[in-house]
Amino acid sequence: MNIESIRALSGSNLWSDQPVLEAVVVLDPLGLPPEALDRLCGSLPSALGAALRRDFVAAEAGAWAGLLGQLVVGLQAAAGCQVSFSTSRALKQGSEYRIAAEYSEEPTARRALELGLELVRAARDARPIELGPQLLALRKLNEDTRLGPSTGCIVRAAQERKIPIRRLTGSLVQFGQGSRQRRIWAAETDRTSAVAESIAQDKELTKSLLDAVGIPVPKGMPASSVQAAWAVAEEIGLPVVVKPRSGNQGRGVSVRLRTREAVVSAFEIAFAADGEVIVERHIEGADFRLLVINGRLVAAARREPPQVIGDGKSTITELVATENLDPRRGDDHSTSLSKILLDEIGREILSEQSLTVDSVPAQGQVVVLRRNANLSTGGTAADVTDTVHPSVAQCAVEAARMVGLDVAGVDIVAANVSEPLEQSGGAIVEVNAAPGLRMHIEPSSGIGRPVGKAIVDSMFAPGDDARIPIVAVTGTNGKTTTTRCIAHLLQQRGLRVGMTCTDGIYVEGRRIDTGDCSGPKSARAVLAHPRVDAAVLETARGGMLREGLGFDWCDVAVVTNVGEGDHLGMGGIHTAAELARVKAIPVRRVSERGAAVLNADDPLVVAMAGLCRGAVIFFSRNADAPRIVSHRAAGGKAVIVRDGYIVICSGKDERRVAQVDLLPLTHGGRIGFQVDNLLAAVAAGFWLGLSVDALRFGVQTFSSDIGTVPGRFNVLVHRDATVILDYGHNASALLALNEAIRKMPHRRRKVVYTAAGDRRDEDIHRQAEIIGGFFDDVYIYEDQCTRGRADGEIIRLMREGMQRAKRQPRRILQKSGELPAIAAAISALEPGDLLLCQVDQVDVALDFVKGLFRQAEARPIVPLSQFAAAALAALGIIGG
Amino acid sequence: MQIRALKRLVGPSIWANYPVLEAWVDLGKYEDFPSNTLPGFNEKLMRWLPTMVEHRCSIGERGGFFQRMETGTWLGHVLEHVTLEIQSLAHSAVGFGRARETSERGVYKVAIEVLDFRFGEASLNVAREMIMAAAEGRDYDLPASLRTLRKLADDYCYGPSTQCIVDGAKKRAIPTLRLTDGNLVQLGYGKAQRRIWTAETDTTSAVAESIAHDKQLTRQLLTSVGVPVPAGRIVTSAEDAWEAAEEIGLPVVVKPQSGNKGRGVSIQLADREAVLTAYAIAEKEFVASTVVVERCIPGRQHRVLVVGDKAVAASGGQPQTLHGDGLHTILELVALGNQDPLRGEDAAQPLSPFVLDGIALDLLKRQGLSELSVLQAGASAVLRHNGDLTIDETDRLHAETAEQCVLAARSVGLDVAGIDLIAEDIGLPLEAQGGAVIEVNSSPGLIMHLKPMVGSPRPVGEAIIGQLFAPEQTGRVPLCAVSGTNGKTLVTGLIAEILRVSGRTVGEVSSQGLRVGERVLGSGDRSNADSMRRALMNPYADAFVFEVSEPAVLDEGVLFDRCEVAVVTNLGSGDHLGKKYVDELVTIAKAVRAPVDIVLPTGYAVLNADDAGVLEMASHTKGKLLLFSSTPGTPALLEHLKHDGRAVVREGEQIVLRKGALRIPLLGLSGLECPTLGLPTFLVDDLLAAVAGSIALGANAEQIQKGLEACLGQGGIATFDLPKSALRPNGGLLVVSPARNSSALEAWGRHFQQHFPGRRAHLLVDPPADWRTSDAEALLTGLTQCFSDVTIALNSDARSFVEALEMTRPGLNSRPTGQSSDLMACLDQLLEGHLGADLVCVCPANSADFLSVLRHLETNGLSRGRTAGLASVRHCR
Repeated sequence: MNIESIRALSGSNLWSDQPVLEAVVVLDPLGLPPEALDRLCGSLPSALGAALRRDFVAAEAGAWAGLLGQLVVGLQAAAGCQVSFSTSRALKQGSEYRIAAEYSEEPTARRALELGLELVRAARDARPIELGPQLLALRKLNEDTRLGPSTGCIVRAAQERKIPIRRLTGSLVQFGQGSRQRRIWAAETDRTSAVAESIAQDKELTKSLLDAVGIPVPKGMPASSVQAAWAVAEEIGLPVVVKPRSGNQGRGVSVRLRTREAVVSAFEIAFAADGEVIVERHIEGADFRLLVINGRLVAAARREPPQVIGDGKSTITELVATENLDPRRGDDHSTSLSKILLDEIGREILSEQSLTVDSVPAQGQVVVLRRNANLSTGGTAADVTDTVHPSVAQCAVEAARMVGLDVAGVDIVAANVSEPLEQSGGAIVEVNAAPGLRMHIEPSSGIGRPVGKAIVDSMFAPGDDARIPIVAVTGTNGKTTTTRCIAHLLQQRGLRVGMTCTDGIYVEGRRIDTGDCSGPKSARAVLAHPRVDAAVLETARGGMLREGLGFDWCDVAVVTNVGEGDHLGMGGIHTAAELARVKAIPVRRVSERGAAVLNADDPLVVAMAGLCRGAVIFFSRNADAPRIVSHRAAGGKAVIVRDGYIVICSGKDERRVAQVDLLPLTHGGRIGFQVDNLLAAVAAGFWLGLSVDALRFGVQTFSSDIGTVPGRFNVLVHRDATVILDYGHNASALLALNEAIRKMPHRRRKVVYTAAGDRRDEDIHRQAEIIGGFFDDVYIYEDQCTRGRADGEIIRLMREGMQRAKRQPRRILQKSGELPAIAAAISALEPGDLLLCQVDQVDVALDFVKGLFRQAEARPIVPLSQFAAAALAALGIIGG
Repeated sequence: MQIRALKRLVGPSIWANYPVLEAWVDLGKYEDFPSNTLPGFNEKLMRWLPTMVEHRCSIGERGGFFQRMETGTWLGHVLEHVTLEIQSLAHSAVGFGRARETSERGVYKVAIEVLDFRFGEASLNVAREMIMAAAEGRDYDLPASLRTLRKLADDYCYGPSTQCIVDGAKKRAIPTLRLTDGNLVQLGYGKAQRRIWTAETDTTSAVAESIAHDKQLTRQLLTSVGVPVPAGRIVTSAEDAWEAAEEIGLPVVVKPQSGNKGRGVSIQLADREAVLTAYAIAEKEFVASTVVVERCIPGRQHRVLVVGDKAVAASGGQPQTLHGDGLHTILELVALGNQDPLRGEDAAQPLSPFVLDGIALDLLKRQGLSELSVLQAGASAVLRHNGDLTIDETDRLHAETAEQCVLAARSVGLDVAGIDLIAEDIGLPLEAQGGAVIEVNSSPGLIMHLKPMVGSPRPVGEAIIGQLFAPEQTGRVPLCAVSGTNGKTLVTGLIAEILRVSGRTVGEVSSQGLRVGERVLGSGDRSNADSMRRALMNPYADAFVFEVSEPAVLDEGVLFDRCEVAVVTNLGSGDHLGKKYVDELVTIAKAVRAPVDIVLPTGYAVLNADDAGVLEMASHTKGKLLLFSSTPGTPALLEHLKHDGRAVVREGEQIVLRKGALRIPLLGLSGLECPTLGLPTFLVDDLLAAVAGSIALGANAEQIQKGLEACLGQGGIATFDLPKSALRPNGGLLVVSPARNSSALEAWGRHFQQHFPGRRAHLLVDPPADWRTSDAEALLTGLTQCFSDVTIALNSDARSFVEALEMTRPGLNSRPTGQSSDLMACLDQLLEGHLGADLVCVCPANSADFLSVLRHLETNGLSRGRTAGLASVRHCR
């Protein structure tokens, strides 16, 4: 068994709405011995083994591929991931299968796949394999990769509120999209003030600020000498703590000092640690941690340092070992408790109590093993939220506010927190930024508190899901024009629009990236852009197959058409029907309050309506298309053309938007596919709340010139000839172009064209057949990158295709590349010619054409031929 | 010349409306030697401090002070000018100073403007030593002292970035409070406050700072929003660094992934060896950090400062270059160059020092030089490519580049950010020239925008203030200061209560304590700068009412810079005269007036129209005027009303608000009479002041009535029933009320005469330590006119006063015979019935003693009577 390729589909994909790891598996041609299954299941944890055995049907072809998928999921689950889905499907080539397994953490899933493969091979070869350590390593990998408990609980709370999540790096997580996004980094929010954090880090400064507003703090003062230390001690009252000003882990700190002698010797110890010594009131009591979020007490815990209780028989080492057997005690931060360490510090503390690790404490004797009650060194935390006195809560809230933290862990030392600090003699000893949340989520005793929810609620008003409107546009042809048109419409509403399409990423009209940006990476870039109020995302098949969608839900999914399809034979998609399943992915991800905008004239698109959770809006140039009629009869919405107007229909109700032949994009209403694009765009704009007036103004001001929609039916006039630049590169697009060209006056039709090498032979034949049957002069060339085909092969296929056409072109001219072909065609233009120039590398080709034209402009202007003039007039470019 | 005492006046004072240092200077023998009589003195000082020629002094023209020295002036005055000049030379310019004689011969009060007290005091000491040296004909090493002082200024004063933000606040009249000895500053008061710490604001996100520190993450975020960044990646070893360099294309930059200020950054590395060396440097300097290799962007380094959504300043850099003279080696040129005062590690120095570290040496090597090479005249050597930012290029910044910088800051999430970018020309879009943003810095230094070597400074402090405070925000909440000789505490308490019932969280400071909202933060006399500071720091407080006492103004100044409302209850014959060289009523009047001087133009001075001394203060306020008066017909009041002015006036049993001819009734007095004590006029005057103050703060009649009601019956003036005795067959009444000056005592006397006509009233007074012996006779004369008997308790603090009294008025029953004790002993004697009066008025000097007296009487079995009405108002006198 081999794995050919692996890819992680992080967004909704063909298989699932969950992230899946997809792999192409090549099964051993001879299959596996029957006992391999027993060996495999025997090596696995029993439940997993049983499940695999239950589902395995030996007779089924590709059973082992399916089993591998299940194994990947099972191993992940054993490592602590919440995953369940897997599937497999045969590829055309007999022994190849595509498997897909759900994942939560990509590295874990990849490792699980490797491990699964090893297990299957070991079972095949009857090799023994010890799974235990491997599983442990997998679990460790998962712990290291997934979000820590604090971040995790905030993220889960956000997910519960349907707020979109994107992990940027480590614990840095983006909540929401575009201009509505916020960020957290562990328990810090993006509103957590850096100044406040600096204040919190300076304990003395913190205390002085709290003291200034009357919050009880342990009164303390610096002392520069032994005499001063005692004077301070007498002033603030005994007992006192003497400690170095800066210091950690409690080094140099002496507590509960009641006598002059004690203070003197403590001063010397502290002075040795740091030249600056603080004498502070000693407060007797327990350690409490109060979590304040946005001016509210959310949780409180009483923290105990790690300790063991003697039984009169066991040594401290043994007692600790017993205590560490508690399954809640883990090696890291992922479990609710950590293991107690008997390290150097622990031994130091024991020696302070005149004990060693080998001492045997008496029955009931409490042995403390750390000075502080931190969870990470084995301490415990009991939830006491419900017992906090309102005045104590108020103190904690005010302390957080005074320091300036939106999320703060306020440490209190007091006999209890159920009475005011003034009564208990307690005090606030510290205010912590980015507090750990583990003790409140999973306290050692008492109930967990919804702290993640509190943080999310502090960041987002009730009901705010931090989403921006998202329009996804997919289909075989017209995606880019439709995308650009929708962006144009939304801009009319004053929204800062982020748009991705085949030509790049645009934000507020400015191009921020170039190249084909119709994939999920670009979508994510737009959704992460802090200025974007609305996103219009061209969503091409390639990205969906490679990585899944770049968003979780959209408000509008537009499917322009599927037609005869394109790129068939690639990525496991062989038929237009299969392609339709891919194009339907965005429709599946239309939110309940969203809508799918579907082409009513394309049966494959119409069929997608059933997959949509939200509303459906059909569009068609044909007002009486059966689908439109039936949809409207059921009260549905549609956008159609009636009496030369674009009309929005809601059930029976009809509202005229604009007269089609006045819209520049349609060139006098002649270019049918552009009318379709406008209908789809109007439907999307309408759903997003644009008024009819705004829609009208929008479509009237949207044209397809080189500047606005480069390479999409740009009509130019050169030397009395008409030149159309278009990106069309499949049969459906060519048919639509031909239909449009037929309506334009001209003397002779010429075309510059090549087929992409990664298309199937049959597709290249078909494209050539359409061209050959329609154009007089055909300039063909081969691209530099023939996408895996041998030199000359594409030309050959095209020539073969053209021969199949009913009508043969006048001339077929072969050139060595895109630009030479364009140059040749343009230099050969004669008055009255109509040249369709297929531009492949849009930016380069357009610049090239503009350059050619500029040279030509230097020449004297000749009067327009009657043909060109008529063509322009017909397109509404010049008058009559 | 000795300095007897130093007072740090933290804010507005009798001298000025900003912090000044007040020194009490004893000239000793130099009282007899003005400057022109000391041989060589003037010449020496003029030579040492030639820049003092700019001091105009009272002459009012350049060289004015030098003229005064030549015609002869006293050394106290010289000390003032020299201290000012030394501060200006060592740090930055200050201009205000005064020297005034005191009642003691040879002792002067010298007041000097300071930026920081510790620095000011050190400067004063240097000035004193220098003057003594000049006077005694010795030499003085001023440059050495200035060096020390500069160091102190660095430690004590705000850094340049903080200072420019604080100055920006000052321009907007937004108040500031320094929260630490360092650069943590509170801007605004109470609930309206914001904070900065150097160039970080309280809205600078900690998450954003973490992002900015991670260069790789920053690059990822900038790329995704389309801000050009140099291609690059993290490398794991020197070999990997070279591989990366080859992938990216030479030349490259090698730098640590985290860290800032260009440390460990090597640029323009064009070969394998250079990359390997640079890797070692980057790795060594930041052990814990990963190393990044980036494409080297051609062009000069620039820094763009983004504040909010604006690029407010841009600065261009030049490579750090040594220029040869044909004589010195590079090593020597470095040492020479570092003597330039503009060059140094300090944040206030715009040029960084030349350092011959690994990067510099490596760069020299690549220029064919070593540290021992002698650089020819006209030749130059580059020590560091990313040199100092010295050229202001704000006006050249291309709009699109500015936009990219703003977007970069926004993507990282910083409200204030320094964007480092490389471009040939900042006047062109970045893309057009292959420029790129190389770093986004949080808490950026501002010095390059404040002190450019070429071009003009930029108001970046104002921009940051503009980011923190919208144009209509002032950083202020209503602040009402109450001053005057008597009645301040009562008025403060009343106004505070009126604000509280109107829903405010009030920060209240008075001689009764410090309170914010419902929380009492301290009791006893808190009418001082520290308590006001604590109140102003409180983030919940949305209104302040402060009692401003004269001693506090004289000792430490007023803590706040401006107030909305200043209420002056009265001045009368003043109080607190006699100590601290305060000998004249006019000085006390200045202290009382201090809040009036700083009323905001939008605010009100609320003045007692019946007190000439108070009414005179009207000419000192920039605010509007609101008068109060219990005698409606006085000319001043009528004049004020004639000009459509506002006033709160007692008209019979009513308190009314007058505005020109308009008359709005606010409050009836009928319910405010106490069955025992009646309605003392002075309490009504206090009520008028409180009502007027509340009106000035925007309260309405309903709120005023509610507030007053809340204050009634909470214990005010205490009364006790005196038991019947042979001498007092009908018993008698004992009144305890704090009063410590002749105005207050006489007010009681007059009230007793009026309310208990024909009855004998005995006054027992405990003289405070600051009563002047010279006033003894006048005081006693005044008191005996309205009290039939006066007992002045002898306490050791006031012994000299009492002795003086006995000298001038021998035989007068000024104190009980046969005892020498304090107030309590006197009280006991009175109670034993030796005196015949059936009305006794006991006046402790402060509220602590007031409480002791009450306890004493209660322990002795006297029954406390009930006061009602105005006399029962909490914190009464």
